[in-house]
Amino acid sequence: MSLAWTEIKRAKLRFGLLTGAVALLVFLILFLQTLSGQLLKEFVGGIENQSAEVLVYGAEARRTIEGSTVTPDEVAAVANVDGVGDSAAFGENTFTVKVNGGESKDATIFGYELGGPGAPTTLTEGRLPTGEGEAVGASGAGVDFKIGDVVSVLPGGYEIRIVGLAKDASFNVQPTLFSSYSTYEQAVRSQNPQAVEVLPTLVAVEPAAGVSPTELAARINDQVDGVEALDKETAIASLPGVSSIQQSFGLILLLAFIVVVLVTGFFFLILTVQKIQSLTLLRAIGASTGYLLRSLILQVVFVTVGATTAAGALLVLAAANSSANFTVTADPILILGTGTAVLLLAIIASIGSIRRVAKLDPAAATQRMAGGGLI
Amino acid sequence: MKIAWRELIRKPSRFITAGGALTLITILLLLLGGLLDGLYLSATAGIRAQTAEIIVYSVDSRASLLRSSIDPATRSAIEAVDGVQSVSGFGVVLLGAKVPGRADLADVAVFGYEAPNARVPAPLPTGQVYADESLKASGVELGDELLLGPAKTPVTVEGWVSDTAFLFQGGLWGDESTWRRALSENRPDAVLPAGTWQSALVTVHDGASPETVAAAITANVDGVSALTKQEAVSALPGVREQQSSFASIIGTTFVVAGLVVALFFALLTLERIGLFGVLKAIGAGSRTLAAGLVVQALAIAGGAFALGGLLTLGLVAIIPPEVPVQLVPRRAVITAVGLIVTALIGSAISFRRIIRIDPASAVGGS
Repeated sequence: MSLAWTEIKRAKLRFGLLTGAVALLVFLILFLQTLSGQLLKEFVGGIENQSAEVLVYGAEARRTIEGSTVTPDEVAAVANVDGVGDSAAFGENTFTVKVNGGESKDATIFGYELGGPGAPTTLTEGRLPTGEGEAVGASGAGVDFKIGDVVSVLPGGYEIRIVGLAKDASFNVQPTLFSSYSTYEQAVRSQNPQAVEVLPTLVAVEPAAGVSPTELAARINDQVDGVEALDKETAIASLPGVSSIQQSFGLILLLAFIVVVLVTGFFFLILTVQKIQSLTLLRAIGASTGYLLRSLILQVVFVTVGATTAAGALLVLAAANSSANFTVTADPILILGTGTAVLLLAIIASIGSIRRVAKLDPAAATQRMAGGGLI
Repeated sequence: MKIAWRELIRKPSRFITAGGALTLITILLLLLGGLLDGLYLSATAGIRAQTAEIIVYSVDSRASLLRSSIDPATRSAIEAVDGVQSVSGFGVVLLGAKVPGRADLADVAVFGYEAPNARVPAPLPTGQVYADESLKASGVELGDELLLGPAKTPVTVEGWVSDTAFLFQGGLWGDESTWRRALSENRPDAVLPAGTWQSALVTVHDGASPETVAAAITANVDGVSALTKQEAVSALPGVREQQSSFASIIGTTFVVAGLVVALFFALLTLERIGLFGVLKAIGAGSRTLAAGLVVQALAIAGGAFALGGLLTLGLVAIIPPEVPVQLVPRRAVITAVGLIVTALIGSAISFRRIIRIDPASAVGGS
């Protein structure tokens, strides 16, 4: 193994540049995964972590919560569909709020019928709202709710008290409140006193025992005009931006992985070709193929582990400096998983070099001019 | 120089690795840039189209058109501020539109406006709208009657305008009554009283600074927040965060490009050290050899950009439409210049080794 290490020590620039390039590429991969994961979590958490298994949109909404309204007649019609266990109006809107009279911020407020579907499912502290003017808070975008906080809705100043906290339940990358439906209505009127009517955004539905969410959604779509029912999973996947975030980041990650493989594979191939005479000589004086292959693989491991360590450190640095409005965290499992994937890919990419080393003929050393042989 | 060119032409396989890696990096850079531009342009066009230098929102709206309201008294107060030349009302409502003959709805941003802007002429009569060209992809045609929102409010498309989308939805531009009807029939919770607009667009007198006038409006008119057009664009949800995240990702990718060039030229130089020794022995200077290296780095970067650009164009053509990639010439120029600069810096890493080559090594010295 001293051969591998000695070569690295004597060619610091080459190995340093390769480790630097791979480190930055791994950092790019880690950062993109962290960014897209966090973005998706803060984007859809509010819907993912509420209790309704089926969400019913106005048909014109094109599966966009902000674009959806349903009429009271549609809410009633959904309730009458066979297989509905429980259903109720659900409201969603973005508001300007102040927490404890501080700086004004954007926040999402969800309104659900207390005791009905649409309640937060990841309560970590406190309790669910039991009456008007109360809410469970899900922190996000730099707003860190605490129990007892008072959230006022601008410009009217309607006040909502935080009585519970939920994790991973923010929506649209904003702090989110889960309140009673009537609290939500008050908030809308506080924001726009001229509001003629506050229509529900969705119908939140819980299937009866033995009925699957997809089956129930299909029944609602068959039986109620002017609405589109989706099971929760489909609703999340259909939220605007979710598939484009996944596809865009997926494509970029794929390219970054290809560049890592290409750079590592060709680096070791060129290096092996450059060293072929020395390696042949080593074989001729007794070094086994296994020894040379282990040296090569050790160098690949050294470069990849060094690069992953440096990339992990860069991610920790980026996380420490991330904005309070969009916090990114350095997940050790992600770093370890990505590092392992890069290591495996790098070894696969080095197959060209491995084959060349494995096929070395020790007798060829006698043809080296410097060794006294004839070409 | 000639030798560098000849080597490139006669031994292209030597440079395939560096060229291949740089081509992939070019695709990565162009796609990242295209994604950033697509997100930015599709979200902000409705605001960028304005000729007004200032947009005034109610202070509690946090620069959100959908939550803002400017009543007639406030508008008069804005008109009275020094430096203000004209004030006009502006509002928007985001809806789904039923297009004749199509099962799927089109996502539209219905704008109400009073004064023409850089992209949209003066308002048409009530019930008629200009449509953004992006809506052609949803099947919208001239003369179509679109039915807006759950209330199916009818509007007729009478003309096309370009680059006026808002928050990824195609713009429909109508007069005050058209917009108010679409708003009140489809969003009863967002209705505004007669004369009240969501925002006020302000043009300033010749020679007046928009920043100064905006500050004067915010200071002198109660309950409003006046932003310059660029500030209003940046205040749109997610715009600032997108710009900073993508800028750091693109910056990192450029550094990777520089390191890849440095790495492969270090290897190439090592491979040709004997050849360089011979060239030095017959009179070639270090400067000539370094210049050759630079020429090769530039040629590889240029070739990688051309090939990467073509492949990106092909890739963009098959990328699903929900991925908002938009390739703009400015981004291509930035990427090309960035690649050339990083290739130059990367190749310079090998200069030291070239300078240290001893011509005597050509006759067996080390």
